[in-house]
Amino acid sequence: MKKYTKYILLLMVLTIQTNVFAGGPWPQNKGKGYFKLSEWWTVFDQHYTDLGKIDPNLTTGIFNTNLYAEYGLTNRITTIVNMPLFSRNYMNNLRSATTSEIIIPGESINSVGDLDLGFKYGLSKPGAKIAVSATLILGIPLGQTAGGSLENLQTGDGEFNQMVQFDFGKSFQINNIPAYISAFTGINNRTNEFSEEFRIGGEIGLGLMDSKLWVNTRINAVESLKNGATAETVNSTSIFANNTEYLSLGFEANLYLSKNIGISAGFATALRGEIIAAAPSYSVGVFLDLK
Amino acid sequence: MKHIFSLLILFSLLIQGCIGDDFVDDNVEPILQITTTPDTLALGSTFQFEAMYLNNIGAQESVDVQWESADQEVISISSPDGLAQALQIGSSTIRASYQFDEKVIEDIIEIHVGQNTVDVLQSKSGTIETTSFYTLKGDFEFIETEEGVLLDIAENYEASSGLPGLYIYLSNNPNSIANALEVSAVDVFNGAHRYDIPNVDFEEYQFIVYFCKPFNVKVGQADL
Repeated sequence: MKKYTKYILLLMVLTIQTNVFAGGPWPQNKGKGYFKLSEWWTVFDQHYTDLGKIDPNLTTGIFNTNLYAEYGLTNRITTIVNMPLFSRNYMNNLRSATTSEIIIPGESINSVGDLDLGFKYGLSKPGAKIAVSATLILGIPLGQTAGGSLENLQTGDGEFNQMVQFDFGKSFQINNIPAYISAFTGINNRTNEFSEEFRIGGEIGLGLMDSKLWVNTRINAVESLKNGATAETVNSTSIFANNTEYLSLGFEANLYLSKNIGISAGFATALRGEIIAAAPSYSVGVFLDLK
Repeated sequence: MKHIFSLLILFSLLIQGCIGDDFVDDNVEPILQITTTPDTLALGSTFQFEAMYLNNIGAQESVDVQWESADQEVISISSPDGLAQALQIGSSTIRASYQFDEKVIEDIIEIHVGQNTVDVLQSKSGTIETTSFYTLKGDFEFIETEEGVLLDIAENYEASSGLPGLYIYLSNNPNSIANALEVSAVDVFNGAHRYDIPNVDFEEYQFIVYFCKPFNVKVGQADL
């Protein structure tokens, strides 16, 4: 199977994490939910190499229209869905600067992306000082794995992964301003010769303007266990380098326009990485918060 | 709420990226190269010399080449067809030239005339060097064979296995694989190995280029 560009999927994972972890360790109450329709994108012309240095690449764009939903099945069990309803991956034309002739024609693919389906269980009782939850996230490969004439365009990685993570969090106030801090750690078990991953991250958020505006910053890290395939261990050079890693920093603002409805905007970038795009990603969206 | 969702959908449609253009600096100095290089011509024999002109992007172009022999009494050569005749034991330099835009480019080789034609299989050596932040290095020998050429890569060769879709090309432009010959996908990342490349003339290409297809970018090169 062709998998030239798993780094692209890693970028998708970045945004998926942004969404999936948005709830922190706090499950939704029974019958309550949070739904978000958002657009996420990145365009990059350089990437981190396996040595962590930055090299150029042909300009590549990835655009995802995501539907994210959390719904409380009980007060302690929340189901989570993240579905890229429309995913577009393209690469620019490569032209001669001397003749302007096309050397490698640009291409694009459009399809649905990989579905993330999750279940969060509150390990701590509702109202506990420190909230703790466990989450299982299943990555269902619905996207396209090898598009374009070079088969280097993707909207999915073609592998079924299972991630178990634990979230910890505490809400508090700073000068009567509501705030929270949370952290998570998890293991992502990947199939199809992908390396397993260790994940860790943290988030701090503040509720401003009488909690109408929530701003947060997140830091996430992915460390590969480097037990998957590489170009050397598989008998095909078409497989994209495995063992991607990154440390990312993100910011997000959520503004409630009414009691339940709001808009959001976010930004994330890799501070360091291996085999991952060296460019920021952006997101905008609208959400419905059934409190 | 309907308006907000409508606006988001509209915004999504508007920002879905269009395919643009990236440019690679592929300008090179045009060259003219004599591609038929016997060591010795047999006295009284005729020989068809050929030359290859590579333009400013390293693409072959058909041009009218002017041929000259420094010593017409040893080797005579007609122009522009390049047909030579060995007239006398000795040596002469053969010059191929092409004039364009008030510039003259040329290639000169020395040819001997003896009792027999001697056409020695040639070889040359060099070093593969990375042009990126991926590991890629090693010595090589480029050897002319009866069928084409042999690229014999030495034991000290090392390439990053973290790099996806690495391919090796023979090219006449160090920055482009346009008009290049794709030799093979790279599946050896350490140690000696070789590529038999049939139907390629020894002087046909100027560079070895390592190219990453997924990123569409050059990773390393070697001069031939």
